[in-house]
Amino acid sequence: MSRKRSLMPDVYRTRKRVCSGPQNSEASNQDSESLDNDEWENDDNHNENSNFPSDTKTALLYLKNLFPMDKFEGRLPPIILKHQIYGIIKNRTLVDKDVADMRNSGEIRLFKLGSEASEFCIVFTEDYKSHVLRFTSDLSIGKAVIDKYLTTVVTNCQDICMNKQKMTHDFHFKDEEVTQLVKAGVLTVRDVGSWWLAIPSAGLYMKSFIRGRKAVLTMIRKSKYKEILQAELEVRKLPKVARLGMTYHIHDIIGADLVECVSTSSGQLLRLQE
Amino acid sequence: MLHLLHQREVGTDRPLALQTAQSSRRAYSLEISKDFDVQKIHTSGITSLDVDSTENRYLLSGSADGIVCVHDMENHNDVPKAEYPCVSTIGRSNRYRHKHSVETVKWYPFDNGMFLTSGTDKVLKVWDANVLKTADEFAFSGVVYSHDMSSLASSRCLVAVSTQSSQIKLIDLKTGSATHSLRGHTKAVYSVQWSSRDEHILASGSADSRVLMWDVRMAKGSLFILDQHNGETASNASSGINTAHDGKVNAIRFLPDGLHLMTFGTDDRLHLWDASRGRHMNVNYGRIDNASRRSVRLSSSDGCRPPLAYVPTDSNIYVFDIFSGLRTSILRGHYTQVNACYFHADRQELYSGANDRNILIWTPVTDKAFERQLQEKSEDQSAKNFTSRTAATADAWSSDSD
Repeated sequence: MSRKRSLMPDVYRTRKRVCSGPQNSEASNQDSESLDNDEWENDDNHNENSNFPSDTKTALLYLKNLFPMDKFEGRLPPIILKHQIYGIIKNRTLVDKDVADMRNSGEIRLFKLGSEASEFCIVFTEDYKSHVLRFTSDLSIGKAVIDKYLTTVVTNCQDICMNKQKMTHDFHFKDEEVTQLVKAGVLTVRDVGSWWLAIPSAGLYMKSFIRGRKAVLTMIRKSKYKEILQAELEVRKLPKVARLGMTYHIHDIIGADLVECVSTSSGQLLRLQE
Repeated sequence: MLHLLHQREVGTDRPLALQTAQSSRRAYSLEISKDFDVQKIHTSGITSLDVDSTENRYLLSGSADGIVCVHDMENHNDVPKAEYPCVSTIGRSNRYRHKHSVETVKWYPFDNGMFLTSGTDKVLKVWDANVLKTADEFAFSGVVYSHDMSSLASSRCLVAVSTQSSQIKLIDLKTGSATHSLRGHTKAVYSVQWSSRDEHILASGSADSRVLMWDVRMAKGSLFILDQHNGETASNASSGINTAHDGKVNAIRFLPDGLHLMTFGTDDRLHLWDASRGRHMNVNYGRIDNASRRSVRLSSSDGCRPPLAYVPTDSNIYVFDIFSGLRTSILRGHYTQVNACYFHADRQELYSGANDRNILIWTPVTDKAFERQLQEKSEDQSAKNFTSRTAATADAWSSDSD
């Protein structure tokens, strides 16, 4: 039969055993359990781009390395945005599942950035704890309160927001202690009696991030036909306020669906979406 | 393929395995049909499509100027190219036609002698398909966005109607009056659908961002509300109202097995839910542009593994693998906003209607050897005619001599 190179469901694919590493086989095992017929293996986890890691955890570590710690002089922990992973690993459902698993096991924490954006940012728990300790050692907040916060709330509770009931009954915080935590920047006021968990001095990050994203999008918008080759975008320089680096922002705009990736013969092209 | 046939013959596999494998392969390779076309009758954008479930033969289409057409989609096997003819039209001259646009058209589920149409003139009309006259009409207080009849309830004839007012009315066709209304939404309800598994369960999506599940036997209210965060509060308001989407809910559709429900909203997201408990399945399909102000129709493949969802967005149709969320392909062919798509389960074809007045047929790209042979045969016949004609009119004069 003549077969054009069209899409075919997996049942017709020759079942070659790809010798993948332990992480990949673990991920593909999870998928094959979800299908009833385990003959139909799902090999959708493999990526075309061989430079990038093919597992959510390795993607997170790679993005964490991209974060320029030196530019911020240690005042921020490495912050990763959840949608940056979507640009690296194509299967979004799998990424969401892995992130939820890592969150439940306590490895990472999710935070909500600001009131407009419905985006979540990910910080590794150890980085968050060391950052909070470093930040509050400068201020005059009692160390006991911070330690109590770190041991109870950060370790046990995985939510992104807290309300008064939880703080007083479940974690036994008094009102003055809560006020101190707000002053320290660890809690941000959301509503009466309800707070977001936050990263202290996150405003510094948000400023760089918003400026940088706006600058990258303006660069693409100004080009003819509102598209640019990724290789060409990488060599352009961002303004000095945007300290996060071009690669970080490229992952951000790809994952947030602000640009469309088109693969061409001269590399990947990024086209601005309306 | 031969391996699957052999296994079926020997008895190693269930017969359904071969059927599922082949229909999945066909459903995955849809392209615009080059050979079959639908006769162009509509002069205005097409809003809704439906194929009757008894014969799987007649395509009913409604358009934005109130015209309803029925096309006969029977596939004549020997003909390599065909245009499906329109067998009946409710056009401008019909006395009973809708005065404004038709939003939803649906065949009566149990035979194709009757169909129901509803539109922006706030009326639901029940038509006799053979005579093309209305058997009954029901008037409402607001624009009717959608209506649905359950294909499982053969003893009762309840039509669920969703309108601009926040109540969903249930009409009984046997008595000809409204039996009861379901209260729970606060704004216009864009779409309703009966469950494909349980004849009493109804789902409705509305402009207040919520999707409610109803059991029509219960008098007090909805069964449960679908919450996209499954209980965790992530919105800005601390009072946590459960919303299914962050914008209006444009389309809902049960999967053919009735266990899952897909909802599509103006927040550019598609969500998959567990229909029995209302739990969000957390499948991430990415951002799908949805700028439509009216209700759109989603479609899903039937009898394929893994199942596919066909989602109209702008002028394209995105094809997603339902449970993994990966986008398998993009069907490009329309010029303007696609309003409705319908997957024909027996032929694995997709029919789609858009504002550019076209109904496109998307067929599986199969091995074309047989069609090529037919075409060559017909070309040979026409070539013979050509030579005989030129022999009769051939110029017998020589051109060299002066």
